[in-house]
Amino acid sequence: MKDSVRSLLQKVAFVAVLLAAWEIAARAHVFGPRSEIIFPTLEAVGAAFVKNFAKGYAGVTLWVYLANSMKLLLAGMGIGIGMAFLCSGLSMVSRTFHNLYSLLVAVADLLPGVALLPVVIIIFGVKPGVIVFLVVHSVVWPMSRNLIDGFRAVPRLYVEAGMNIGLSRAGLLFGIYIPAAMSYILSGLKVGWARAWRGLISAEMIFGIASAPGIGLFINQMRTNMNNAEMYATLVVIIIIGLIVQYGILNPIEKHTVGKWGMRKS
Amino acid sequence: MTALLKIENLSKVYDDDSREHAVIDNLSLEVEQGEFLCILGPSGCGKTTLLRCIAGFERCRGRILVDGREIAGPGTDRIMVFQDFNQLFPWLTVERNIQYALKCQGVRDRRKLADIAADVLAKVKMSGFEKHYPYQLSGGMKQRVAIAKALALKPAIILMDEPFAALDAITRNTLQQEVLAISRQEKCTIIFITHNIQEGIVLGTRLMLMQHGGRVAMDLRNPIPRPVSPSSPGYGALWDRMHAALYATQEV
Ligand SMILES: Nc1ncnc2c1ncn2[C@@H]1O[C@H](COP(=O)(O)OP(=O)(O)OP(=O)(O)O)[C@@H](O)[C@H]1O
Ligand SMILES: [Mg+2]
Repeated sequence: MKDSVRSLLQKVAFVAVLLAAWEIAARAHVFGPRSEIIFPTLEAVGAAFVKNFAKGYAGVTLWVYLANSMKLLLAGMGIGIGMAFLCSGLSMVSRTFHNLYSLLVAVADLLPGVALLPVVIIIFGVKPGVIVFLVVHSVVWPMSRNLIDGFRAVPRLYVEAGMNIGLSRAGLLFGIYIPAAMSYILSGLKVGWARAWRGLISAEMIFGIASAPGIGLFINQMRTNMNNAEMYATLVVIIIIGLIVQYGILNPIEKHTVGKWGMRKS
Repeated sequence: MTALLKIENLSKVYDDDSREHAVIDNLSLEVEQGEFLCILGPSGCGKTTLLRCIAGFERCRGRILVDGREIAGPGTDRIMVFQDFNQLFPWLTVERNIQYALKCQGVRDRRKLADIAADVLAKVKMSGFEKHYPYQLSGGMKQRVAIAKALALKPAIILMDEPFAALDAITRNTLQQEVLAISRQEKCTIIFITHNIQEGIVLGTRLMLMQHGGRVAMDLRNPIPRPVSPSSPGYGALWDRMHAALYATQEV
């Protein structure tokens, strides 16, 4: 308990120092007349933060943008994680499938999703599904890589003990492989989530879709209008959501699984 | 009366083995209901391999029959207690490790699951550790739980591969006494591999010495009445005999 309090205090102090440095830079006008654009004061960013949610842009509040992004993100992550489990599970059953799928993962993971977007748009048109495609692309490969590695690393002993107590193939997958590979699954989720979140925002910035305006489009609008305080305030929103997912969802899952089981990857 | 376990002309060659000789070459063996068979033999003679064949983990030639039925793969009628301490599932508590095995056998009733787990844990003197996770246990405690898990499933045969080899002498003796007590109470059939002659004589109702290639060098009924201790009449002579035979097999 004491350790966690200390670690929290350290983090708070670190953030406070960064914010203070920012504020000093803002007040000192280190960049001369351009300073207000580069370093708006904390007060201006704070006011912009409130304004984003209260008034937004052209009558649409940031809540709407956020909700649109989240919908696409959740859909994409759901599909991506599901596909990763399915394909990694299949590659445990069939050697041929494993061979080909590993190659696909190795190749596809290298491709920047944004580069594929024009092609996807030509095929599907400018629809929210394009963004979902990109999120799936950023989640499915790192997740698969981790799942395959995790399943391969399951000790033979657990599998044999599982067979001995009468588990079927499906029983082995759910009862042995998945819990035994939990630390790999979690690191896959962490990498996948970070990539998906960033991928979503870049895709929205480049190909903002008017029918479902997302947070990336909002940033782009603020950026092109030189509303930098609003732009920074939106980045703060992105950071906050990232922190909520990391500390509010992923870390507790880790604590209540591999942490509790003494199975943390060292 | 037919034997509980009947092995006919068992041969095993590992796929990736470059040697021309089979690890186990044409081994036949019968084990009666209630027997405590201790198998000794030089390192690498195929004891683990034999046990894994019986458990159904290995593909092999020949026939293995339990209760007259030929086995096809692993099954809960033959539960293996591995040498490795890490055989419990780390993501389940002690109690759940046992209950999970029972659930796989279709036991659904919560009360019954709890009762069986409490009962077998008491038998291995692990009451009070129900909610612990395996990483919180010592090696000897993990082996006790593994034995409890085997007992819970009421298998026809319990297979034990040097389960106490990595334990200190005192813990080892305690566990030997407990396994002995359990085997007498439960009247279960046990095949137990060990390197330790004392362990074999104390536990076994039957002692078998294996030789390279899975040949049986010696197979005798333990003449010393239980409970056996080093001061039991005949212990010294039997120990010497086993020791000499074990060394003779080593030289081959
Ligand atoms: N998976 C395997 N693949 C190939 N060869 C194997 C494999 N497992 C065991 N062997 C070989 O089979 C032989 C018998 O091994 P086994 O493990 O059955 O011996 P053991 O009698 O249990 O020895 P120990 O007393 O040291 O445990 C050894 O020569 C070993 O090299
Ligand atoms: Mg062995």
